[in-house]
Amino acid sequence: MARVVVNAEACQGHTLCNMVAPDIFHLREEDGHSYVVVDELTAEQEPLARKAELGCPERAITVED
Amino acid sequence: MATDERVVVEFDQHTPEYRETYPAKAHELREQCPVAWSTKHDGFWIVTGHDALSALSKRPDLLSSDHDPDGERNGYEGISIPARGSTRGGFIEMDPPEQSEYRRVLNPFLSPAAVMKWEPLIADFTRACIDEVIEAGRLDFVDDFANIIPAVLTMAMLGLPLADWEIYCEPAHMQVYTPPDSPNFDHMMEVTFRMVERLAEYVQIRKTEPRPGMISALLNAKVMGEFLPDDGIIGTVSLLIGGGFDTTTSLLAGSLNWLDTHPVERARLVDDADLMNSATEEFLRHFTPAQGGGRTITQDCEVGGFEFAEGDRVFLSFAMCNHDPAAFPDPDEIVLDRFPNPHAAFGLGVHRCIGSNLARLGFKHMLRECLRRMADYRVDQAGAVQYESIGVINGFKHLPATFTPGRREGPPLAEVMSTWQARLDAEPAPENLRAGTGV
Repeated sequence: MARVVVNAEACQGHTLCNMVAPDIFHLREEDGHSYVVVDELTAEQEPLARKAELGCPERAITVED
Repeated sequence: MATDERVVVEFDQHTPEYRETYPAKAHELREQCPVAWSTKHDGFWIVTGHDALSALSKRPDLLSSDHDPDGERNGYEGISIPARGSTRGGFIEMDPPEQSEYRRVLNPFLSPAAVMKWEPLIADFTRACIDEVIEAGRLDFVDDFANIIPAVLTMAMLGLPLADWEIYCEPAHMQVYTPPDSPNFDHMMEVTFRMVERLAEYVQIRKTEPRPGMISALLNAKVMGEFLPDDGIIGTVSLLIGGGFDTTTSLLAGSLNWLDTHPVERARLVDDADLMNSATEEFLRHFTPAQGGGRTITQDCEVGGFEFAEGDRVFLSFAMCNHDPAAFPDPDEIVLDRFPNPHAAFGLGVHRCIGSNLARLGFKHMLRECLRRMADYRVDQAGAVQYESIGVINGFKHLPATFTPGRREGPPLAEVMSTWQARLDAEPAPENLRAGTGV
């Protein structure tokens, strides 16, 4: 099963991942930076996580197989 | 870098030529070199390639935003090319960790969750501004609409009197659209100076009369046990006025102007509510209201395959990088459902626009309401006036339009203003941590 990680150093809070996949990426209350709320990606979630990876302006998201 | 190796161009982002040839100009420059050396404004690197921008933005240690007009640290010239002003422009002209401290104080006001508090204010003022013109069937999208709502919202968030938006309006816009060689430049600097003086007075007033909002939060903040310095706070309040007043305004004007001449896309946007998110990102990418930022290289280095020397000035053109075909196929086309769209319209790296969440919220609501209530609007192109220089902000001074008149939907603007002022005045004052400290 694949997993997705957000590099907290690289994330600057553009929030585009949350627009693509709000069930996978939540935004911190204090600054809007992203964090992952699922452990392993389901078959339905994986393509969404990959979309978020492609769309991140900071290239802060990685889907790992 | 050895002079003979660099690709030399003559590029000046403040000229009418750039305004007339944006975004196509980006390709001409990038094809010569994605990081070229312009001989204008005492020489600076102009970054037009998305990969180079990404690499550079990840190195705030090598690219300083610091503005040190008094030569106390390094003499660096901040984010404006050419350099301007004898004072620092708030935390946008600071580097981490100092910059991070200001953002830590302000982030709680500007996070995605926090900005939702302001949705009712945005809705009320949007409705009222349209009501003011709805029976006449004509308006100026800038003067009567897009200039007002973001400005009032900024006043509210700072904890300043709402009606004062009008005092700051002219300087806030003039300071971004006046080119450095304009005969109006001195006048612009003078009205900007008066604006900053007035804001400085309010910062002093808030020391004894705290109000909910960002000014009092800055006054209450401590870093390493010390309150933030007055000049840092005043610079930051001026920055928030500039950022809050002029960017969403420009995005909206550019988008409304484009939709005027693209009826098929306009109908799509009206019919498909789900399109608004991607359309907003695409308008941000294409118009890139805040066109870029200057930096200073802190040490001889190589980044992304390009060599730089300490003290070199660099202009990161978010706008031109947003039209790099390597990252965005058909970059000069507006594709409302473009994906992926990892644009740099809010900047990249630690200086990502702190107001981005507020900008999106306000923009979407204002655009939706324009399309709903002035559905058949047509821009009077003869009266449309772009900013003289789009080198700082890509916006419009005026964008007049006509539409089929409609009916008012609520109380007039003046009443909304006083109702909201009363509502905000009724909020309890925050704690005043400076009380009795004498600072």
